[in-house]
Amino acid sequence: MISSVRLKPLNWQPYIAPVELSEATPEQLDAMKVTPSAKKVSEYVRTLAHDPESYLARTILFNAIMYVEGGLARPDRELGALGASIVNGCKFCAVVHARRHAELTKSDQVVTTLYLDKPEKLGPRDAAIYSFARRLSAAPSEATADDIAALRSVGMNDVEIIDLVHAISIFGWANRLMHVLGHAQTGK
Amino acid sequence: MIDAIDKAAGLSPDDELFRARRFRPEFVQGAEECRISVLHPAHDQGLAPILRVALARRMAALNGDAALVEQFDTQLAQLDATGQLLAVAQGETALKEPLATIARHADLVTLTPKKAQASDIALLAQAGLSNPQIVALSELIAFVNFQTRVATGLRLMRSS
Repeated sequence: MISSVRLKPLNWQPYIAPVELSEATPEQLDAMKVTPSAKKVSEYVRTLAHDPESYLARTILFNAIMYVEGGLARPDRELGALGASIVNGCKFCAVVHARRHAELTKSDQVVTTLYLDKPEKLGPRDAAIYSFARRLSAAPSEATADDIAALRSVGMNDVEIIDLVHAISIFGWANRLMHVLGHAQTGK
Repeated sequence: MIDAIDKAAGLSPDDELFRARRFRPEFVQGAEECRISVLHPAHDQGLAPILRVALARRMAALNGDAALVEQFDTQLAQLDATGQLLAVAQGETALKEPLATIARHADLVTLTPKKAQASDIALLAQAGLSNPQIVALSELIAFVNFQTRVATGLRLMRSS
């Protein structure tokens, strides 16, 4: 038995001044989906709203990849996101998606195993997903046909593998925003 | 319709994988809209598409993605890239400012995102980039790193 790792949510702080709602352009307000009654929009959203076009397009794609119905099970997408976030060094994203994995599976066993850096203790399916996530996230990618074979051998079909490729890849994107434009802090 | 990711992954409409990718029209459409938003945006924030494509080519090369490199090379030729912008595209480091600082940042965040820190953003500001330009550049860098991984994953699936 490994003792449970307790992960507390982190707080994210930008390195540049976010857009102030009082100074936002109509396009920025629209991208942030700010309604007249909204008082608080997160610093993360307001930072990225400096470029509303990319913010809007990425948010739509991100939500599709992480939340679309069917295909790859949601905990598996979260595990892909977690593997990418660990490789890319985004502590903030890693904690968010570790916690989400634990919530969805109602168990913190996988997350605990990874935070204690014992991936050899993962079950075969989680091991195949986590290993592929790490290797595809390296720059340049270190993933090979063997990784795809390992995913197929634990029963994943093409649609599920494509979903996983996207979950890992979108964190190659998100991590390069969160960890580059700001930093994570403990506390509220 | 064949998009940039199909091209990079070598997929054609006859391939089973081409059809499997279309099981998620929202991913296909979404990735294409993201590509336009970072490479050919309606408002470029003063970072011209030709610079964006040059940087994308540079980052595709850092990722060892020959197919994407070829795609961006074709676009650079169509845009008549010359001089400093070609040097950016080809990975050179002896560049004029602010290109030198921009290219350094793209290299760092592509290869070693873990090492990025507050001082790297400060360098961009010192080189004269505005906050909207810093964010637009960050989204471009991050997008290319997304795109090469989707293409890589699909290529591996095709070959195994």
